[in-house]
Amino acid sequence: MILNYVRNKHVYTTEPKNNLLLVCAASEETFFSARVEVTVKLPDLEVVEILGKIKRSPFTRCQEAVSMLPQAMGLRIGPGIIKLVHNLVGGTKGCPPLANLVLECTDAVILHFTTEPLKEILKKEGEEQIVAYQEFLRQNPRLFNSCVAFTPDSPLTKGIKEEL
Amino acid sequence: MLKFSRTKWVGIERPAKNVFLIHGTLEDHIYGLELDLTVKAPELTILNIEGKMRRITTSECAKAIPVLKKAIGLCLTAPDFSRQVNKIIGQKGCRHFANLLLECTDAVFRCALYETWEYLQKEGALTEDNFRQEVLGNLPFLKESCFAFTD
Repeated sequence: MILNYVRNKHVYTTEPKNNLLLVCAASEETFFSARVEVTVKLPDLEVVEILGKIKRSPFTRCQEAVSMLPQAMGLRIGPGIIKLVHNLVGGTKGCPPLANLVLECTDAVILHFTTEPLKEILKKEGEEQIVAYQEFLRQNPRLFNSCVAFTPDSPLTKGIKEEL
Repeated sequence: MLKFSRTKWVGIERPAKNVFLIHGTLEDHIYGLELDLTVKAPELTILNIEGKMRRITTSECAKAIPVLKKAIGLCLTAPDFSRQVNKIIGQKGCRHFANLLLECTDAVFRCALYETWEYLQKEGALTEDNFRQEVLGNLPFLKESCFAFTD
């Protein structure tokens, strides 16, 4: 069957240079096309530059949303950023799909820093891997009880609940 | 050099006027997931959901697959739909499945918008004002969803 609608979204990070991490997110879909580029200062994860472009959209006035992006400058990637980005770029007075691309970028920053530790953990096996996951949770306590793998009953969190 | 990459793809079929069939994939450096979803129109409720995990990071992750069934019956237009998905599918299952599910359901709204656009174009009545009025008539839950649909 021929598809009625298609969305293709891509986000990537590149190797940091001069303590600056560049993240790009783009969405190409039947009805909308946009791109956002965010530069994040390390190690405090502060948004220092944000650029965007809407290439296709249903309304001419959708273009106005791009001018809202600089309001996200100065934000730090961490707790509370989802609500802040929705309020500054999305919501009833903004463009939710553009805000969503900003949040794809902030998510990708977190995943960028998660990839290497996970790669090291997955090199281990059995009990050694469980111990490595427990150490990973000590360093990232927000992940505790964030998904089925890190529930209080999971073998990966054994002994962690009491510590946190 | 590229350090982390995530691609999400969503495709929607319309085998009947009252059905959206959605296939979504998420592939990144860490995870590889797929979802197949059936959404009933015009209520926009989830009729069925199936998921696959191609690449995961822990021995516990696969337990998130049966959790997906808890999404059946959720209504896409409910004001707390995203929160419910993040809690029921994300926290109790897999956050990346929840992310992909929200991608798929958001695309359903876009598909419905596009169908209205396409209809007006075929009728030779496509103007931005007509489109806005038609959307707010057919899809009233989109009122005040963004600045283009806010008075």
